[in-house]
Amino acid sequence: MPHLLTYAIFAPLAGSAAIVLLVLLRPLLRLPKEQVDSASRLFALVSSGLSFALTLLLWAQFDGARTGPQFVDHAVWIRGFNIEYFVGADGISIAMIILSGLISFIATIASMPWWVHDDPQHPHFSKRMVPGYLALLLLLQGAMLGVFCALDFFLFYVFWELMLLPMYFLIGIWGGPRKEYAAIKFFLYTLAGSVLMLLAVIGLYYGSRSIPGVPLALADGTPVQHTFNMLALAQLGQRGLFQTLTSLFGYRFDRVVWLALFIGFAIKIPMFPFHTWLPDAHVEAPTPISVILAGVLLKMGGYGILRVNFGILPEATRFFADMIAVFGTINIVYGAFVCLAQKDLKKLIAYSSVSHMGFVLLGMAAFTPQALSGAMLQMWTHGIVSAMLFLIVGVLYDRAHHREIEGFGGLAARVPEYTALMGLAFFASMGLPGLCGFVSEFMVFYGTFAVYQTLVIVSASAVIITASYYLWTIQRMFLGKLNEKYRDLADVNWRERLTLYPLGALSIFFGFYPQAVLDLVNGSLQQMSHVLRGAF
Amino acid sequence: MLHVGLAHFLAVGALLFALGAYCVTTRKNAVGILMGVELILNAANVNFVAFGHYSWGGIHGQVFALFVIVLAAAEAAVGLAIVLTLYRHYKTIDVTRAERLEG
Amino acid sequence: MEAAIARNLGSLGAFLPEIVLSAGVLALFLLDLVFRGEGRRGRLTWAFGIVLALAAAALAVTPSSPRGLFNGMVVQDGLGTFFKWLFLATAAYTAGIVVHSKEISRARLGEFYALLLAVLLGMDLMAVSGDLLMVYLSLELVSLVSYALAGFRKDDVRSAEASLKYVIYGGVASGIMLFGISYMYGLFGTTDLALLGPKIKAFSGEVFVAQTLGGATAAQLALVVAVMFVLAGVGYKMASVPWHMWCPDVYEGAPTPFTAFLSVGPKAAGFAVALRFFGVGFTEAAGGGLVNTATVPWPAIVGILAAITMTLGNITALGQTNLKRLLAYSSIAHAGYLLMGLAAASILGFQSVLVYLAVYLFMNLGAFLVVAIMAARTGGEDISAYRGLVRRAPFTAIAFTVFLFSLTGLPPLAGFTGKYLLFAALLQQGGSWYVALAIVGAINSAISLYYYLRIVKAMVLEPPAGAGGPIEVPRTYGALLAGSMAALLFFGLFWSPLYGASLRATQALFRG
Repeated sequence: MPHLLTYAIFAPLAGSAAIVLLVLLRPLLRLPKEQVDSASRLFALVSSGLSFALTLLLWAQFDGARTGPQFVDHAVWIRGFNIEYFVGADGISIAMIILSGLISFIATIASMPWWVHDDPQHPHFSKRMVPGYLALLLLLQGAMLGVFCALDFFLFYVFWELMLLPMYFLIGIWGGPRKEYAAIKFFLYTLAGSVLMLLAVIGLYYGSRSIPGVPLALADGTPVQHTFNMLALAQLGQRGLFQTLTSLFGYRFDRVVWLALFIGFAIKIPMFPFHTWLPDAHVEAPTPISVILAGVLLKMGGYGILRVNFGILPEATRFFADMIAVFGTINIVYGAFVCLAQKDLKKLIAYSSVSHMGFVLLGMAAFTPQALSGAMLQMWTHGIVSAMLFLIVGVLYDRAHHREIEGFGGLAARVPEYTALMGLAFFASMGLPGLCGFVSEFMVFYGTFAVYQTLVIVSASAVIITASYYLWTIQRMFLGKLNEKYRDLADVNWRERLTLYPLGALSIFFGFYPQAVLDLVNGSLQQMSHVLRGAF
Repeated sequence: MLHVGLAHFLAVGALLFALGAYCVTTRKNAVGILMGVELILNAANVNFVAFGHYSWGGIHGQVFALFVIVLAAAEAAVGLAIVLTLYRHYKTIDVTRAERLEG
Repeated sequence: MEAAIARNLGSLGAFLPEIVLSAGVLALFLLDLVFRGEGRRGRLTWAFGIVLALAAAALAVTPSSPRGLFNGMVVQDGLGTFFKWLFLATAAYTAGIVVHSKEISRARLGEFYALLLAVLLGMDLMAVSGDLLMVYLSLELVSLVSYALAGFRKDDVRSAEASLKYVIYGGVASGIMLFGISYMYGLFGTTDLALLGPKIKAFSGEVFVAQTLGGATAAQLALVVAVMFVLAGVGYKMASVPWHMWCPDVYEGAPTPFTAFLSVGPKAAGFAVALRFFGVGFTEAAGGGLVNTATVPWPAIVGILAAITMTLGNITALGQTNLKRLLAYSSIAHAGYLLMGLAAASILGFQSVLVYLAVYLFMNLGAFLVVAIMAARTGGEDISAYRGLVRRAPFTAIAFTVFLFSLTGLPPLAGFTGKYLLFAALLQQGGSWYVALAIVGAINSAISLYYYLRIVKAMVLEPPAGAGGPIEVPRTYGALLAGSMAALLFFGLFWSPLYGASLRATQALFRG
């Protein structure tokens, strides 16, 4: 099927446009509000589902042995600046594209008001300004897929920024009590990072030029002076072009650019000390948005570092590798310790994301094929598990309208199904063998041990802390004496089952068969590892 | 015997300019400020005429000065009309008293 | 003598748009006396529109191949034509705002339109001035009429005060500029920009002719002073630091439709003069790029001004609560961004200024249109009056959000196109100095997001204050808002046409 990626990106965008059109036509068609709401929900489910189905098709057709991009769509967009519409999937992006499709669809289902218990005091977000919410959600989904698919740096940047707007409004309008503060903080942090990134992108553009063996040309064959083509840039970078350019502020060009890009991506990951937007945004966002934030948005940082920093500027990456590893370790340990102190369940899970994304950084810094694959797998598993965790918190919040860990107790007897699901998610997250978190963390440790022995030992001991905060939380919430207030707490309903069971199943499946993902990514990552270790 | 040359005229021009600038920055009376502006314009005129006469010949400098004189009159007319409007509101032309717009 | 007169008469054909505008000014003053009664507002607006349409038609048939008119006083080229279209669009948009504005009373509408046409004429002349004398005259034409328009509401204290501040700062700035021009004349013996160019280039090498001035060093100093002084007059029109002080007060006090016009038209005209002044006088095309031929480091001067202007504008805007003042400081900041393009001193830099101005027209006029709507419907210019606007007037609130995000420079809106080109121009030049300027610009964009978001937050995230019923928005305004949004989205995604037009306009400057 041609143009598969383009359809996958634009299906949600088209859904979003359809909803906007419906709202604009509403006075003309004299539709009642309820009908518009239902129609918007239908549009959202169909377009998001279609996009997910297309990514699954992608999975089926993807050839993991090839290293170049597949499913390529390539056309000139703005000729004056050699900007192209260039999308494609390779080993670095394919896993993220599928993850993005999956989590987006789950988030759309979680945004439906099915089986929602009506409580006039606590109106559910899924019933407020429905068309606006869904239009923004779909816009967000399209933009996320676009980021992972784009192979033209300008296009990448446009999608990257396009994601900010819907996210701001989704948190700011449909979020919790401190939503305005959280939304603005998220927006300012990411924009500050991305404007620096924009400068780096333009800098790379003007740094690029045709060299022997790497002729630069547009999609229609016109030879050009500079390029935004990420694959061509990577080839130029791997041949050392960017190291030779005029230095900036007394530092080497490629290192300055590397740092500007890295800060932009590190804010998204989020890497300590740029992580402070994350707890606020995660806690205040409505459940499906938290799911997307943790499940997909954070991965963009990791993906960006792999695709851009590692791919285009390998020499500078070698220079900064130790720094990445140290920051990764700080993330792991710091995140875990902060989790111990959390009273709010959602905040605890938010900080556990900080900790788990540290594994991604640590694994990437080692450059070995196992560690790189481990980092990629960690992004995948964290995407699934953290999405599940946030859904689980949402279940409780919808019923109890608070998330204080101490406010519960002895729930296991009242809501056994919920307890089981939460246990599964917790154990998957802490890395119990047989569940998916174990494989990726093990691969990261295994691949990194030869390079950063001390850091691996420190990080591995932080896993004990991870285990303790999860177990302690289970003890406080589910065991012990039942809090009488929650005697009549309802167990998970069908909408929640629809989102939780697939994710739970996947977290078990990938615990036993991680090869399903690794087969997709290994080819490209091995090549990348080869390039990165070239100068050792 | 002192020979008056270009430098002297330029000095006068510069002095007028400085006086005008001083007047504009220190005066509180709106009419006084407009007079300072006139000084600045005439400083330029002195320069134009002097350069035209001593350095370059021709009438270009003088013509420029003529245009400036005309514009200065127009500017004074508009300026004074505005001062008058303000006077009707505040009963004063002290610019420090006009402070509705601050921030 | 006869030859000069013949040349002047021959130039008249290429001067058609200006002639149409001049006739239009007179015609509107006359029609002001003729049209009476109920339909006056509509008829006057139609008359204004017809004058604009005629001017546009005249502009379309006037050739734009580079040549000098009126013995070099006026230059006909692509750059001038680009700006004339820009100014026509600005005037048309302003008329669209005036139609339903209560600030311009029906009795004085004809006067307003006539004066607006006079400003338009002045701006057109600024864009085509080939001689410093012409620059000064056209700049004063714009200024003098603007003073009157800023104080148009004679019964309003704020309006009177605004116009007084405008006239004082304006008088001083143009006086300083004139003084600078007198030194330019003294140094080179001409005020014709085309003749100045080669002389300034030769100047660096030769010892100054008038030894009385104290030799080459003094002459060099005099040139630097002259350039800085000329920048004062231009910078005043752009509202760039340190000639920005009038801006917030005048923006707040002037009638909102005119504020809207002021924030785009004269600013663009200032840049038109600056581009021509530096482009023709101080640079020449060499090897596909531009080189600074003068010993004056004007790109550095402009670059430093740019950095200070945008930083000061953005930082001060953070604390504003009055929307007109906030947008005034934001417009100062945008003058700073635009100066970055000038500082790049390259073809792409000049192009980026043109593109940015064209885009700025839609987003800033759009923003002021919303301010005008709100001032008319709720009487509030304060940010608190915008609370919950999305419930009271969803379309207006969404449009305003789009304009604000475009002003921030977020893709896929056209503001991003402009900012991208500005940054690209700086980074194309490369080197630590330009990169540092670009970083300052980038950080400033992030700062500006904060105060733009405050408005968005009030409109979208907060509940309406008090009794907030739905706000009726006239159909004309709705169409203008929709058109602006469409333009911003289009030029954000497909900016090839705009880029091409700016390229032609810029290249004309260096070929002619």
